[in-house]
Amino acid sequence: MMITKKAIARRTVLRGLGAAVALPLLDSMVPASTALAATPASPKQRFGFVYVPHGSIMRQWTPAQEGANFEFSPILKPLEDFRKDVTVLSNLANYGENGHSVSSAMWLSGTFPAKGTNLKLGTTVDQQIARHLGGDTTFPSMEFATEDHSSHLGSCAGDFLCSYMSTISWASPTQPLPMEINPRVVFERMFGGDRATPQERRARLESNSSLLDAVRESANALKLQVGARDKVRIAEYLDNVREIERRIVRAEQQRDETGIEAPATPVGIPENWEEHVNLMFELMALAYQGNLTRVTSFMMARELSTLSYPQIGVADGHHPVSHNNNIPEQVAKKIKVDIYHLDLFAQFLDKLRQTPDGDGSLLDHSLFLYGSGMTNGNQHDHENLPTLLVGGAAGKHKGNRHIKMAKSTPLSNLMLSIMDTAGIDTEKFGQSSGRVGL
Amino acid sequence: MIVGFSRMRIRVFAVVGVWCAAMVAVASHSGLLASQQAQPRPAAPASRPAPVQPVSSRAAAAPAATVQPDALVKQYCVTCHNQRLKTGNLALDGAELTNIPATAETWEKVARKVRAGQMPPAGVPRPSQADLTSLVAHVESAIDKAAAANPELRGPAIHRLNRSEYANAVRDLFAVSLDVAAMLPPDEEAYGFDNNATVLGISTSLMERYLSAAWKVAGVAVASPKITPSLETFRVRGDLSQHDHVDGLPIGTRGGIAISHYFPVDAEYVISPRLYRETVNIIRGLELAHELEVTIDGQRVGLAAFGGPKDEQANYLQPTLAGDEMEKRFQVRMPITAGLHTVTVAFIKKSSATTLELLQPFGRERIDPITPVGIPELDRVTLEGPFKPAATSASSPSRRRIFVCEPAAGQDAACASKILTTAARRAYRGPLNEAETRRLVGFYDEERKKGGSFTDGIEAALRFVLVNPRFLFRVEQDPANVAPGTVYRIPDLELASRLSFFIWSSIPDDELLTAAEQGRLKNPLVLEQQVRRMLKDERANALAANFAGQWLYLRNVRGHSPDPDVFPDFDHNLREAFQRETEMLFESIVREDRSVVTLLDADYTFVNERLAKHYGIPNVYGMQFRRVPVTDDARRGILGHGSILSLTSYNNRTSPVTRGKYVLTNILGTPPPAPPDNVPPLDETPGKQQSMRDRMESHRRNPACAGCHKLMDPIGLALENFDGIGMWRSTDNGAAIDATSQLSDGTTVNGPAALRKAVLQRPDVFARNMTEMLFTYALGHGVTYADMPYVRGVLKDSARGNYRFSSLVVGIAKSLPFQQRRSES
Repeated sequence: MMITKKAIARRTVLRGLGAAVALPLLDSMVPASTALAATPASPKQRFGFVYVPHGSIMRQWTPAQEGANFEFSPILKPLEDFRKDVTVLSNLANYGENGHSVSSAMWLSGTFPAKGTNLKLGTTVDQQIARHLGGDTTFPSMEFATEDHSSHLGSCAGDFLCSYMSTISWASPTQPLPMEINPRVVFERMFGGDRATPQERRARLESNSSLLDAVRESANALKLQVGARDKVRIAEYLDNVREIERRIVRAEQQRDETGIEAPATPVGIPENWEEHVNLMFELMALAYQGNLTRVTSFMMARELSTLSYPQIGVADGHHPVSHNNNIPEQVAKKIKVDIYHLDLFAQFLDKLRQTPDGDGSLLDHSLFLYGSGMTNGNQHDHENLPTLLVGGAAGKHKGNRHIKMAKSTPLSNLMLSIMDTAGIDTEKFGQSSGRVGL
Repeated sequence: MIVGFSRMRIRVFAVVGVWCAAMVAVASHSGLLASQQAQPRPAAPASRPAPVQPVSSRAAAAPAATVQPDALVKQYCVTCHNQRLKTGNLALDGAELTNIPATAETWEKVARKVRAGQMPPAGVPRPSQADLTSLVAHVESAIDKAAAANPELRGPAIHRLNRSEYANAVRDLFAVSLDVAAMLPPDEEAYGFDNNATVLGISTSLMERYLSAAWKVAGVAVASPKITPSLETFRVRGDLSQHDHVDGLPIGTRGGIAISHYFPVDAEYVISPRLYRETVNIIRGLELAHELEVTIDGQRVGLAAFGGPKDEQANYLQPTLAGDEMEKRFQVRMPITAGLHTVTVAFIKKSSATTLELLQPFGRERIDPITPVGIPELDRVTLEGPFKPAATSASSPSRRRIFVCEPAAGQDAACASKILTTAARRAYRGPLNEAETRRLVGFYDEERKKGGSFTDGIEAALRFVLVNPRFLFRVEQDPANVAPGTVYRIPDLELASRLSFFIWSSIPDDELLTAAEQGRLKNPLVLEQQVRRMLKDERANALAANFAGQWLYLRNVRGHSPDPDVFPDFDHNLREAFQRETEMLFESIVREDRSVVTLLDADYTFVNERLAKHYGIPNVYGMQFRRVPVTDDARRGILGHGSILSLTSYNNRTSPVTRGKYVLTNILGTPPPAPPDNVPPLDETPGKQQSMRDRMESHRRNPACAGCHKLMDPIGLALENFDGIGMWRSTDNGAAIDATSQLSDGTTVNGPAALRKAVLQRPDVFARNMTEMLFTYALGHGVTYADMPYVRGVLKDSARGNYRFSSLVVGIAKSLPFQQRRSES
């Protein structure tokens, strides 16, 4: 079955899960999926969550006028070309202590992170949507980042474990999802890593099936022996084994559904950050296009990022620049960085706009939340967070608006509204006290 | 007179009040708990404690103490730390000195601050050092006594192998060397280390990666002829300077790259070098003729000429085509045997003369990506293969390791079973039960039934080993016969794994595993002998890479990118040298079993030409590292290393605050709390050039900042003679550097050497912090106040031998938390 309307040259695409590809169909493992019934007439929605650290300069971010046809502020200028799809939301807030860890942790969870030795947050909005929409894709969600947290030692010392800063996606209150920084790895997951023939792939498929069965038996045996606390970890392991089996089956089914051409294999992590970001965006666009996933999250940079941007004339690190102490020349640098981030995001949006999907473009069918979990880099606060929505959400989102909420409206209200857009029926999320009228 | 007197008292109180307020921030830190030093030390020459003269009984310290602990606390501590002010969130007026163990968490904090000389703060009345020492000894011995009577121990925990452990385990199991970093994601850290059980979770994407890694590793391990060709690309970093010889490359070459690569099977491979092309695809330096050489294990396998008028012209007319044509000349396709080989690609060196454009060229070669002027540089090398693999790769080291028997006719199954159980026993760190063996061999049988070869069968079963939870997780479990909540000694097999993952970041070897299986490891003599053997093994270098790499933040060096406009000489060659120097110093302390204090005051170091030039050490030529004496007092120990000095700087300037924080946290173990959320702006006049010291002093005038910055800044300021990449300097922003400052205990220091000496006044504080870190790393969980009695126990024994590295490791291996556990209730 071809999902996309436009005829794309059907070529055999090496597809992946690394080495594991194409399994005999085990129907019992395929979850009931609504989206399989989707036809080009009822387009598939895609969701994306793009994080930038260290807040923004809000007086240069917030448009002066409310409502439709607002004038784009200096920082938001790069998005002007997408006016009909852009909604700027002001006065949304998270309630919690100020700080970096809290900023990235609360952004998509609306939950204040647990201090001390145990991880506890909340299932993030991207994962809620992934559960709802992801059943018909190989990857219910994909998580991306650009900075290697293992060379940021010491940045998260204090009350909060590092996971709160290394990822914005949590599959459950205790399961942070690692974000992938290597484009090569993303590529191999999507398209496979070597040049196996269809026969070889089929053989691997069968092997994997019995491999995972046996692994499950071993894990079950082990589960009987360990203590209560560790049973949870083994159970997690078993859940993941099951999910992999599903993905393998799904990957095989999808081989006949779409045909996107695999680009050249990326070499690894580019030295140049801009190239890195663009490559990640490109892979995200491909994953949406091939319906490999419908939900992504992306930390363009992390809290306490040490990245500097000499290419736009900001040689100081982003973190020191965000501590601008209201010194005009430092503030100007922070504005430059924020505009630069939005420039790159706008290039991605443009690509989505140019990619046909069903009766419209990928951008018409997507909804992106772009913003930061911090407001002001000096204070590390979460009042009036820089927040915007972009995309048509398959008819569920109308842009060209600047919505000014009552002061300190919970950001969680927006998350509830985004979940509405995805068709998730729920009354409460994180710190929500209601909804944002979109 | 009387009026005047009371006014004065009031003023004193007001001053103390301000201090208390300032200290709120300092002591409110509750994250990393660990306390300083319990060793009672002789109190006499009070001003200058002897280096390390351990004394076993408290009585020896007692004579010099003049104030009883409770009186001392009342007199000197509760002025700020009382129920009303709660300075630093701490009130000691209600605290019971008679029942210290009940409030051990609080008292450990007190002991830590006092021990490090940070309390009472400078500027308020301070008791004699002897009295302070006596107070700490009193507090700590009370806690230790209580802990000995009722040990606080943890229950069993599951540790997933982290990425380094997985890589090392695969190396040790199969004698292969694979780039596991490309197969698995980095792990999360907690309490400073990425081997912490709490955060080593598992996700679907990780599981997926384990599955695909298993295919890859098993295929390479048996040297499967079915491995399909793939491309591996090795890039030369853009900030690696290539005008001179690069370490590891043949003599007489310049630039290039040395690739240590494990070739999976005996087969043909293609080596394709690519030159750097600037922004419009021009290859630099083609006006002259050049030669590019390819070698394998030192043997020349390719030499191609390029450059000269013809190539130059072609490159200008059609840059891309001409470049591609040239690269075809470089390509080498040849048979290569399975195993680890070193492939090098480099230019034949013609002259040391540099380009004519610059009077004084920068240390970093490729600083401008646009100019077409320069010399040819290597951009990347691609290895492609295998093509036409041999059916059986006789030269594969991993086959030799795994295939412990050759299947005789009709005896295939018996041999397969032997091969698989041998490998699985090591992979699982213990014997297999019958069901496990059956399941494992079942994979071999199934593959044979499908028509697969003997090798295919082994490969299929090894894949199962590699995704098996017994391999991926270190599972600890309470024995069936132990009642809930009981303290018991862990089984020898678990102890063996704890040891090998601690010292080698890998699985036990056969000797250790056998000792455990025979139940001999519980014998302390055997244990100690094994630990010493393991420390001498090359695999113990994992301690430098993983323990020191994280404790000292050395892993951050690779992510540090100084601004090329400010530091045009900084290049990747220097970055690598920084990291290598500190690692080598640490490795030498492990190998030569030196005192750990050597890290701070070593009178030797390891440099190559690039680094020696950076430090101004003469007469060091060539890129290989060698040991040299350190004659410059300021450079001794890691606080004089470019690695530490640059990773504690911003990318365009020094940060005395970061350096101060580093010393407090990583060296002294007294991390300052996070800065308050609402940092008030510095009063800075735009455009006015201020020295670092001026800026910092204005910072400290703000009482909200002063408390912590009075601890951090003086340390950082004493290191100001080292610039943002650790080069010596005497001016900053045109002003002479003044490296004089007063530390929190009142000591005045005037530069790096004096700072180091001040830190070494309390070698026990450093040793304790390192022990605490090593404990955290060894156990794979956060060390809290409740673990401090064990930390002190290790230190006490270690101090007798002046903190030799092995004594810390042996001490930890023999400690209660390492050897025993409390069953789950």
